[in-house]
Amino acid sequence: MRLYGLELLRGLTITLGHFIASYTVGIRRRFSRAPAGDPIAAQRREGIFTVQYPEEQKPIPERFRVLPVLIFDGKEGERWSENTERCTACGICAKVCPPQCIWIEQAKSAEGKPVPKAGNFYIDADVCMNCGLCAEFCPFDAIKMDHNFELSVTERTNTNLFDINRLHVSTEYYARTHPVAWGEEQARKEAEAQRRAAAKKATP
Amino acid sequence: MAQTVLFGPSEEQVLEQEARRHVAVLPWGKLLEMIDPVYNWGRRNSIWPLQFGLACCAIEMICTAASRFDIARFGAELFRASPRQADLMIVSGTVTKKMVPMIVRLYNQMPEPRYVISMGACASGGGPFKEGYNVVSGIDKFLPVDVYIPGCPPTPQALLHGLMTLQKKIDGQKITAAPWYGPAVTPELPVPGLGPDLIDFRQSDRIRELCAKPDGFPKPEVLPKWIPAPAVPADSGVRLVEAGQLLETARALRSRAERPLDYLANLTCTDYEDCFEVVYHLDSIGRPGKPEAIKVRVKKAGPELPSVVPIWPGADFQEREVWDLYGVRFTGHPNLKRILMWEGFEGHPMRKDYLEPYYEGPAKIFPSRWKEGKRTRVEERNPLGRNVRYPAGFDPTRWVPQGESFQPVTGASLQKLKTDTLVVNLGPQHPSTHGVFRMRVVVDGERVAALEPVMGYMHRNHEKIGERNTWLMNFPYTDRLDYLCSMGNNFGYAIAVEKLLGVKVPERAEYLRVIMAELTRVLNHFWAIGFLLNDLGAFFTPALYAIKERELILDLFEMVSGSRMMCNYMRFGGVAADLPAEAPALLASLIRDRLPRAVDGIDRFLSGNEILMRRCQGVGVLPREAAAAFSAAGPVLRASGIAHDVRRAEPYSIYDRFQFDIPTAEEGDVYARYRVRIAEMRESLKILRQAIAELPGGEVIAGKKLWNIRVPAGDAYGRVENPKGELGFYVVSDGTDHPYRYHVRAPSFINLTALGLMCQGELVADVVAILGSIDIVLGETDR
Repeated sequence: MRLYGLELLRGLTITLGHFIASYTVGIRRRFSRAPAGDPIAAQRREGIFTVQYPEEQKPIPERFRVLPVLIFDGKEGERWSENTERCTACGICAKVCPPQCIWIEQAKSAEGKPVPKAGNFYIDADVCMNCGLCAEFCPFDAIKMDHNFELSVTERTNTNLFDINRLHVSTEYYARTHPVAWGEEQARKEAEAQRRAAAKKATP
Repeated sequence: MAQTVLFGPSEEQVLEQEARRHVAVLPWGKLLEMIDPVYNWGRRNSIWPLQFGLACCAIEMICTAASRFDIARFGAELFRASPRQADLMIVSGTVTKKMVPMIVRLYNQMPEPRYVISMGACASGGGPFKEGYNVVSGIDKFLPVDVYIPGCPPTPQALLHGLMTLQKKIDGQKITAAPWYGPAVTPELPVPGLGPDLIDFRQSDRIRELCAKPDGFPKPEVLPKWIPAPAVPADSGVRLVEAGQLLETARALRSRAERPLDYLANLTCTDYEDCFEVVYHLDSIGRPGKPEAIKVRVKKAGPELPSVVPIWPGADFQEREVWDLYGVRFTGHPNLKRILMWEGFEGHPMRKDYLEPYYEGPAKIFPSRWKEGKRTRVEERNPLGRNVRYPAGFDPTRWVPQGESFQPVTGASLQKLKTDTLVVNLGPQHPSTHGVFRMRVVVDGERVAALEPVMGYMHRNHEKIGERNTWLMNFPYTDRLDYLCSMGNNFGYAIAVEKLLGVKVPERAEYLRVIMAELTRVLNHFWAIGFLLNDLGAFFTPALYAIKERELILDLFEMVSGSRMMCNYMRFGGVAADLPAEAPALLASLIRDRLPRAVDGIDRFLSGNEILMRRCQGVGVLPREAAAAFSAAGPVLRASGIAHDVRRAEPYSIYDRFQFDIPTAEEGDVYARYRVRIAEMRESLKILRQAIAELPGGEVIAGKKLWNIRVPAGDAYGRVENPKGELGFYVVSDGTDHPYRYHVRAPSFINLTALGLMCQGELVADVVAILGSIDIVLGETDR
């Protein structure tokens, strides 16, 4: 077999084709009659492929998971308190955590009796494997996987061991990042409340 | 002086006044302050990273360099293979003890100013593998780190955020204060040594002091327990053989008339109270089906067994692994030495009574985590603050490094010209080795006379950690085996454990599993082909287009499971979650339109390419008989003319319902393996089209999800056809919530057994292509 270098030219034409397409796809899309919900077009999977991070971000799907957060009932900007925290320190997340990166200190009442609240809660971000099992198995919807991935730091020893204050986010924030899961949770709770109300009525 | 007063300012003064009016005159310090922004602007926008990857995070680093995220926008696209030309070391992945001397040496070779980004949880603090005996808990124990990026793995955008954090740091630096212009020479960091454990020579005195004391290192409170070897039921089909009869039985089985067992699928060992049990899983090439098992039990003191390498050469690496991790000696093995750990390492770490320096308890869940969960990093319990322990009386200052033993078996002279043979090292830090893999090559001129793979640089103690984990906890760990194919790994583990559990998986979950596994095959082959072209010298352009297609599949995985690479999607008895509302449209458009077009495109442009054909045809030939004998699997086996595929040999899940072919090729060379991969993508798409057409509704998991599931006692070998070959899981349960034995039959590892044979007599440049055509992932090779 002889080499004439034609394949080299053919290879370069492919690159040229992609280069030209990066212009024409946009024009074509403007005049196309494709449905607006076309998933390929919607997520810009043809033509210019690059996501210009940090000016823009790749669309984050709802189930995307980075580090876990704790949820309290409240608005964004509020501080969590013992009354609004959802965690009951049942410990299932710490027990299911594969690399065992969760530490929970159960809160104690004034008399020194343990109460179903987390007094403190630590997650070591340098051990966490972002697997999401804690959120999956939490029976109180108290721990969820956050979307924030912009976590780079220049120091880790004090920063990357997250404590209860750092971990808590509001339900408002969670409802904004996870609209579908939030809706399901609300519907489930409502159904539960109705079922209870019905049961109460049945046995007066 | 008087003149000035009388006749006004002198000429000089006039000039100075003029100059002050038109030219900015600044003091020297002020001027330097103005230089700083320019100086830093130049440096921050031209960071050249070292082309250097360690583990899973390296894949995301490559994606950051590819067209989707395009690190070139930050001026950091020039990944240099030589540390002498690099400014930035991105420590991307798990740092193992075996690898850390190389990393420190690379860092020492980088010129100032140099920066280090610690990418991912493992590099920062040991990550999920922290407790492992071969894992370093944080690269900052050895190198000064500038930026830490949490995440496992951090997404490409997170890496870019880390890069921007580094740029901010550079912006704050001053040219006047820069130490690299100062007179002081930066001292080289001492390179750690590989003794009985990793030795950091900066701690020598402390180590000697601790080793002299009887209680220098803390003693664990609860020790692991053995169980006695269970009885082998007569109806189980397992042959329990005496050690003396092993070779005889093996020969008889290999050459028996009906169903000759000529394919050694898996070989591993279990540590029981009264014996070591070595188990062999055997299949037949001519009559494939359920693997037959042989078990041999050997005494605990000085265990010894005859090697089966003369009968099944594919046992070579697997017997070395058993020797390394269990200390079972195989007599008659041609090259019995450690394979994953280094020679001179203290102990055989998979034995139940081997306790790591960070050992906390025999099994998770650790009681220190809950109720009174006082935050402690595990380092704080070790007097050295490191993941190390040394034998009593050890003195690092008197330690002499052992040379590596290497006796190459060279054939006759390959050249007409008389040349001396020369030993060349490729790796573990080499751009073509697909990770931290090393090949010791004996070259005779340009020809390879002998080649020995050296591995273990990413051995992160998957099996040891897996035996401490609960059954469920192992799912996310399997993601990190072959981190390109996490869905396939989940599948294999679920199949193996479900054999013991005996659960029935709902229909919809079965279909979702198959869809995800076949998409994984497509994305893996895209990656493999892209990087094969890379290895041939078509640097990064074909890989870019291949990665682009892979990204689209990753989008779907992210949508469905929440992570691009570490999907953790399957559970015992089903899958973790149903498809989200937006997924079916994307899935259909990918399968029906985009992916077939992409496969055709690659095929059209590459398969007939004259350069590709000349580089690949007739290179790295693995003959049919050798492929079976060396236990090759997956596309490597099928390219040598053997239509062996677990989906057909022992159909699992619902693979018996789909119409598909097993592509094979006869030549057994690099080109054949490439062709088989292209054809397999088409077959996968065929299965996918059938699967989405038939996808039923209903539940996605059987029963309630349990986090503390208990598995009935027994053992099972479950296997799936992963993109790289047969992925097997051998699990032994003692009826508790964690496996007693958990072994992974890794195709990337076993396929390398034949690498030396394939490379003999080839050119050095072709070694790279041959390795690329085997398609290994180090996470799985070293586990």
